[in-house]
Formats: sequence, structure tokens, C-alpha cells
Amino acid sequence: MSKLEIKHLSFSYDGSNKVIDDISFSVEKGTFVSILGHNGSGKSTLAKLIVGLLDKNEGEIYFNDVLVDKKTIRDLQTKTSLIFQNPDNQFIGSTVEDDIAFGLENRCFPHDKMQEEIEKYAASVNMLDYLKKEPIYLSGGQKQRVALAGALILKPEILILDEATSMLDPKGKSTVRKVIDRIHKENKELTIISITHDIDEAMLSDKVLILSKGRLVKEGKPQDILRDEETLVSIKLDMPFVYRLEKELKEIGIDSKAESIDQLVEDIWASK
Amino acid sequence: MSSMTFGRYSFRETFIHHLDARNKIFLMILFMVGIFFQFEMWSTALIMSGLYLLILIVIMLISRVSLWSLFKSLSGLWILIIFLMAIYIFIPNNNYYLPTAFKVGSLEVKWDAFCQSGYIIMRLILMISLTMILTSTTKPMDMTYAFEWYMTPLKPIRFPVHEIAMTLSIALRFIPTLLDETERIMKAQASRGVDFNHGGVFKRFRSIISLIIPLFISALERSEELANAMIVRGYDPKAKRTRYRLLKFSWRDIIAFLFIGAIFAGIIVLFVFDRKEPVDIVNLIFGQIGGKGF
Repeated sequence: MSKLEIKHLSFSYDGSNKVIDDISFSVEKGTFVSILGHNGSGKSTLAKLIVGLLDKNEGEIYFNDVLVDKKTIRDLQTKTSLIFQNPDNQFIGSTVEDDIAFGLENRCFPHDKMQEEIEKYAASVNMLDYLKKEPIYLSGGQKQRVALAGALILKPEILILDEATSMLDPKGKSTVRKVIDRIHKENKELTIISITHDIDEAMLSDKVLILSKGRLVKEGKPQDILRDEETLVSIKLDMPFVYRLEKELKEIGIDSKAESIDQLVEDIWASK
Repeated sequence: MSSMTFGRYSFRETFIHHLDARNKIFLMILFMVGIFFQFEMWSTALIMSGLYLLILIVIMLISRVSLWSLFKSLSGLWILIIFLMAIYIFIPNNNYYLPTAFKVGSLEVKWDAFCQSGYIIMRLILMISLTMILTSTTKPMDMTYAFEWYMTPLKPIRFPVHEIAMTLSIALRFIPTLLDETERIMKAQASRGVDFNHGGVFKRFRSIISLIIPLFISALERSEELANAMIVRGYDPKAKRTRYRLLKFSWRDIIAFLFIGAIFAGIIVLFVFDRKEPVDIVNLIFGQIGGKGF
């Protein structure tokens, strides 16, 4: 059963230039989808359209086979969480625990059960020791993990990450990426849509969509899409390191279809 | 800018940190009102000023708020202090009790002028310090809840109590973020040749414009993203919400209330005696050290 289905979706901010132009795709329940594209390709606009922060001009969005309109948008919003790019701009509470609690307060979650729930989700993103900390004392990666806890505590069916790692340093990126990967593996019911420039993050996904100038130009498995150098160059992205290495090795006669560096090293040893 | 730590909330296990925010706000206002009682006798005023400063130091020690950071924060007040002193010294009035300090031509400068300006400055410092102690020992969220609680009687007339409280809380939360942003923009503009420290009024004004415009744009972008983040996390200002943090009145609050209440009552008693009684109360207690003949 398709969880989220987008049909012929179009959107324009000024009424003439289409930022999203006739996009159609579907996302199955529990899958991890990455949306790649150059700056201005409409990735973030697409995320805002899905959660109803922007009103679509044309097309339909179906959630659990129900058409999303003004009457049903609230249902989609309660089952969707969105993490934004800038970790500072989504930190609402004055401390980590207050921020994680914000969504629960909005959902009228009972006060006496909040503490336990907050601790559980803070632990799930390795932030249990920082509950009393204020945002000013946290790194970008830690703030983004708090945002993840604040989103997951609402038990969403769809988690949308809008370039959630793009403002982080390499260490912060790697930590958040690991947390996202673990969340995906542990929550088989959770659908993750990651809008990203991070090619390594896209490799973790089950499906990759490529957007260019508001149009969906390619979709498929990351193993196929991320080996397509021509498409990646067209959206100003490099091939993942492992695939670049694999291509170089092929030229010297070592054939490999590795998905990770470790696997690639094993293939090189096997070829000897 | 990021060095402006005084007044910024920081978590510590102290008696004052654990007080109910509503009580803290009430007691702070009560103490401030007490500070603004005007005494007739300079000796009484002097003794009381010393007592206020002592109470302030005690509060700071209990709350483990740094005295050094207070001095650093007050360092920007020196222009105001000089201005106040100049007003009191060079604008004469008829309420002089103390002898002449010095003469500048025909202008006689009385010791009263120094005492009066010193008294005003002391009140100003006390007010700023108390406010800063409140903000550095109270979570912005608790402060918001306390203000919301005080504004509850306005709810029946559809006054947007919750909206104002939430706006206030977000404003408090974003002060450090915007200070950091200001510092970043200043450095970026300085690296492009903008000089914020030298030049005439117009040149400085132009420099400030180059700071203000990007800061406003950034603040507007932040506010839009924050509003979106709140919507996706289910925030609706009109909807019913539960609360993670509940304000509770405890035994600590009773002790603090009794302490500040006793001080306030003492100030009132002293004020009444000081004005109505022909005998100087301080002289009564401490002997012949004060009074009009000071």
C-alpha cells in the first residue's frame, strides 16, 4: 500500500514561474527516500507542500489513499514531522527538555507521563545527558539531534528532513547521519523523506529522486542513480567516493559492485 | 557580544533557582518598590542604601550569580552616572541640608548633590541587578508562565494572554541567538572595511545601517522558519495545551516571601517614622551618627 502519493503537483510563488512543475511520485510505508537536486530545484518547496505549509496550485497529494485537502490536511500534519536546515531556528524551548516537550504540550499529552517520554526520546538520539542544557551551549549537531527527538516524540508516520545536515560540521553530519540510519532500521513503520545535498546520506536510502528546475528528472535505487555520473553532474553533485573509486578500479581491471568502502576493500583483496 | 553572560539563564542548584517564578517576580517588584521609598534624613538613606546593597550581595551569593559579571554589565552605565551627577551638581534646588563641598565661581556645590546623585545611581544599579538576577535564575519558559498567570484576569475580556506570553518567551529565547548574529554581521562588515568605532556621526550612522539591514533580514527569515517549525509541531495558539513545566509554590517560596516581606515592612515603618517623627530613627538606634546636621 502506498503511504504517500503525489500526483501532478505544481506550485509557483509568483503565479508564473513554476518552482514545482508537474511532479508525480509515490513513497511506500517504511521506506527511506532521498530527494537530491541543485539549489533552487524546488526540494524545500516540495517538503513544505507535503506538510501543508504551502498551498499547492495544481495536483493532488494522497496520504493513506485519502486526498489531502483543507479538511484532511490536519490529519496529515499530525502524522508528519519536518526537520529544518537551521538548527537554531527550530529550537523553541529554553532548554533541551523544554524543546522536546513542546510538541507533546501541543498534543495535550498528560503532564505526569511527559518526563518519561522526554527521557526515552532524548536517549534515542544520545542527548539524555543534555536535558537541562540551553541551546547556546550545544553544537549544531546536538541541536539537530534535539530537533530529531522533538519530531520523533510525536510518533510521526512520515519524517521529512529538509537539508537537516547541511549546516553541520563533518563530525555533526556524521553523528546525525548515524542517528537517522539507526532510526530507519529500528522503526520499520516510519517513512523518511530526506531532502539533501549529502551524497553519503543519500546512499543510506532505499530510493533516490532527482529534481532539476522543479521537475522530477530521475528516480530509482541509490545504487543505480548515484552511479549515473551524467545525471549527478547535471545537478552539480559528485559521485559518492566509493562509486568513484569503483569506476577507477574498473579501468584497471578490478570489477566490483561494492556499496561500502569495506566491501570494496574485500573485492580488491579477492581480485588479487 | 557573546561575552554578555550576565542576565542570561544558567542552570544551578540554588535556593533562588528553585523559587516559583511568580513569587520571584512579585518579590522583585516588592523590593524595587521598597528601594524607591524616599527618606527625609540622609543618614537613614545612607544606612538603608548599605542595607539594600548587602541584601543584593546576599541574594547574588545565594543564587551564585557572579559579582564580576555584574560589574562588567554595569560598566556601560558610566555615561548615565556622569550625566546624573552633572544634573544634580549644576542644577541647584532648595532642599539642602548638608554643607558646601566646593565653589565654582558663584555656584555653590553642596554635598547634598553628591548624595542625591549617588542615591539615584545606587537605586538604578539595584534595579538592574535585581532584574538580571531574576533572568539568570529563571527559565524563560517559567517566566512566560508566570507572566501568563499574572495576566489570567484579562482572559475574560479576550486579551491575548497566551499569545503575548509565548511571544515574550520566544523573544527571551532568541536574545543570545540574535546577539551572536549581530557579532557575526559586525565581523563580516568590518572585514569588508566598515568601521564601527571611528568617524563622525554620519559615518557611524552609515556603518550602523550596514549592520541593521542584514540583521533585520536575518531576523525575519528566522521568524518565518520558527513559525513553520512551530506549526509542524502542532502549535495552535487558540488550542488547548498541557504543560511540561508546572509552577509550584514550595516552602522555599514561603521563606523568601517572609524575608522580603519583612524587609519591605521594615522599610515602610522606617519611612513613616522618618517623615512623621521629629526624632531621627537612625540616631535612636545607632546613636548620633546621622541627621540633618550630618
